[in-house]
Amino acid sequence: MKSLITIAFMLFVLVSCQKETITYGTNVSDTFYLDNNGASMRLLVEGNTSSKTFLIIVHGGPGTSSFLYKTDYISQNIENKYAVVYWDQRNAGASQGNSNGDQLNLPQMTEDLKKVIQLIKHRYGDDSGIFILGHSFGGLLTASFMTTGNNQSLVKGWIFADGSHNYPLNDTLTREMLLIVGQKQIDLKRNVSQWNVIIDYCNAHTGNFTFEESSQLESYAADAETYFHKVKKINLASLIQTDPIKYDWPVTSILVNQLYSSNASFNRDLAKTEFSSVLYRVTSPTLLLCGKYDFICPSGLDEDILKRINTTDKKLAISPISGHDIMYQDESFICDEVNAFIEKHK
Amino acid sequence: MLSYNSSVIYPGARIGIELPVKTIYLTKTSRSGKERDFTKDRFVTTNLSWYHHPAFHDNLYFTAGWTMRRTKAKGFFTEFSPELGLSRTFLGGTTYQVDNNGKVTVKKLAGYYYALASVGGGIGYDYSKTKQKPFLIFSKFNVLMMFPYNSTVYLRPAIEIGFIYKPANFISLKVKSRHLKE
Repeated sequence: MKSLITIAFMLFVLVSCQKETITYGTNVSDTFYLDNNGASMRLLVEGNTSSKTFLIIVHGGPGTSSFLYKTDYISQNIENKYAVVYWDQRNAGASQGNSNGDQLNLPQMTEDLKKVIQLIKHRYGDDSGIFILGHSFGGLLTASFMTTGNNQSLVKGWIFADGSHNYPLNDTLTREMLLIVGQKQIDLKRNVSQWNVIIDYCNAHTGNFTFEESSQLESYAADAETYFHKVKKINLASLIQTDPIKYDWPVTSILVNQLYSSNASFNRDLAKTEFSSVLYRVTSPTLLLCGKYDFICPSGLDEDILKRINTTDKKLAISPISGHDIMYQDESFICDEVNAFIEKHK
Repeated sequence: MLSYNSSVIYPGARIGIELPVKTIYLTKTSRSGKERDFTKDRFVTTNLSWYHHPAFHDNLYFTAGWTMRRTKAKGFFTEFSPELGLSRTFLGGTTYQVDNNGKVTVKKLAGYYYALASVGGGIGYDYSKTKQKPFLIFSKFNVLMMFPYNSTVYLRPAIEIGFIYKPANFISLKVKSRHLKE
């Protein structure tokens, strides 16, 4: 009898979990999945769906989860006005599938993003206004999206935060920034031994970077921002301050997905990818946000976008205290800029 | 066997049968000459398990395994059990598909099949040894491995707390038993 009750309870839970729930309100939390070409990608919609305005977070990585982007500050300062969509890309976060590594590539992820937007409009109404915010690798993905076909007609604005749209240019700019800032820091006798190692490496590797050189430059760039006291240090403890238990993080899924995606072969293809040459296609309002101390995706990338996109409705804003993780390192800056941008274009 | 099968903080349940295949009664003599009795049991097991992780997935999995249990004369035991099986997950939210024309449909009972391997170790107490009661209580820590999960292996810890009922005439198998003295 106990067994029957257990099985009946299990079936009830299984069926009720997949029942369609679409919530309109000012403090909504809806989780659902998009199944596309071998991957079931988690979408968490949080905040004010009554506003009919949705900000889709396109996370970095590849393989970093959108769970990490949901901070209390964003909850209190953006989700109270608009709905924020935390999308776990394929092979990231809580997204699930079987043998789908062959589908882990930029064109497929670009299609995924298009379908995410179509799904949001299906659930919450065709009149919903959509904004996309790409961080780091998410910048490359959103650049791919914005320059492909007629995709940009689906969104009201593009926000590019500490992103990269051109990996070869990114490597060049990172090396230049490490050399210039590093030399100044040595002159000021700050972290001399660390900067000397970085400068020696940059002087020995001058261009046409291999994948390994690119990875090493990124590693030095990540270290570099930690040498500045005004830049808030980001570590695992600060990333999980959002409370994994409260938000039901599938911790091991996040870890194994990140490990797989960050080492997947398509990263070698990404290292040669650029969208500078097709940015003239972008006519949508664009907000470019960057940290002054972001060595991983230096502000030169934002300047490249600023001069190439085909719209006058564009703005570049640089946080004076942030490195590569602007949503943690200068929360008020990013929230103020994003809210003002959305308010203007919604 | 019936147990609460928590994946650390998320609820679940587990029901199964263990069939004894071998029992070794072992007496060990210490240097002081004191004798201590142990029993080593070997079981073939089958289990149906489930856990619920909100907004992620529900996982229903069937496993077959081999349990090695070592019980002291006073009833305390330790055990180790590798298992192999099949898992079916059910995604933790409505799942949609969008076709190339933008048409959206709901996918019913969305989820995945995975091959599953599990290893676990635990401790417990066998009431039949000293109190002639036909049941055992136990606690066990398992690590589940599911594959191919996004072309890699998904790992998940699970904690089990439960009891095993030993009916006198449930399934009579020929159990090989030996008495050894070390």
